[in-house]
Amino acid sequence: MNMPSQEQPAVVCVRREIAASADEVFDAWLDPESLADWMRPGQILRTSAKVDARVGGRYEVLMHRQDDSLLHTGTYRVIDRPRRLQFTWISPATEQRETLVTVEFLARGDERTEVHLTHEQLPQNEETLASHTQGWTMAFERLDGRCAPAPSP
Amino acid sequence: MGEYESTQQLDAVFSAMADATRRAILARLAQADARVTEIAGDFTISLNSTSKHIRMLERAGLVRRSVRGRDHVLSLDATQMQSAAQWIQRYQPFWEDRLASLDAFVTRKRATANQGKKSR
Repeated sequence: MNMPSQEQPAVVCVRREIAASADEVFDAWLDPESLADWMRPGQILRTSAKVDARVGGRYEVLMHRQDDSLLHTGTYRVIDRPRRLQFTWISPATEQRETLVTVEFLARGDERTEVHLTHEQLPQNEETLASHTQGWTMAFERLDGRCAPAPSP
Repeated sequence: MGEYESTQQLDAVFSAMADATRRAILARLAQADARVTEIAGDFTISLNSTSKHIRMLERAGLVRRSVRGRDHVLSLDATQMQSAAQWIQRYQPFWEDRLASLDAFVTRKRATANQGKKSR
């Protein structure tokens, strides 16, 4: 068996600048009512959310469609208000595999925040599970290398 | 168990593609089929090491080997790579939409809070 590589080829990187403070943007992720409001894609009628906002705590985002609902769940790995949030993400779209979402909040002055989101797959073999903590730290350190450089404000 | 198999297959594809040399081999094969010895020459790595990389790519279903006389000729099979690409295609728009929605939510909340302040 090959050593699992540190590099994860299937990575989604999204960034967006939002005209609000890092605190405001960060809190919208951990407040269940806020999360239920904006975590609602177009085809979803209603979303309900439960949040246990501590490291190791679980969240549930249930997206209701006409005839069924889609459960998104995971646990928080890093809660560093208002800079960084990291949680696992398991959903029908990940085929119930554990994947990892890292959100970074970069303050651009008091009134603007740049949000960097990285969603990556985690290999599921046991050696990798054992070294997850280290892997997550490294994954975060590699963030800047992976995503395209931020446009200057 | 079809789903379980496809997940394992996806794991093999991701591990195979998580190495710069193997990605370079794939890029090389995207241009033209090549013999194992040619690949080893291109990348100045030992034949032994080349063979290991190629076996991983074969296991992941990314590369096919055919024996033509004495030569082992490798060709690219891009079908598996598409499943990795599909995952990205599914989640990129999902998160772009979500962050747009987060933006709208925070902006709306902020406007309401400001109005509250003014009316006080």
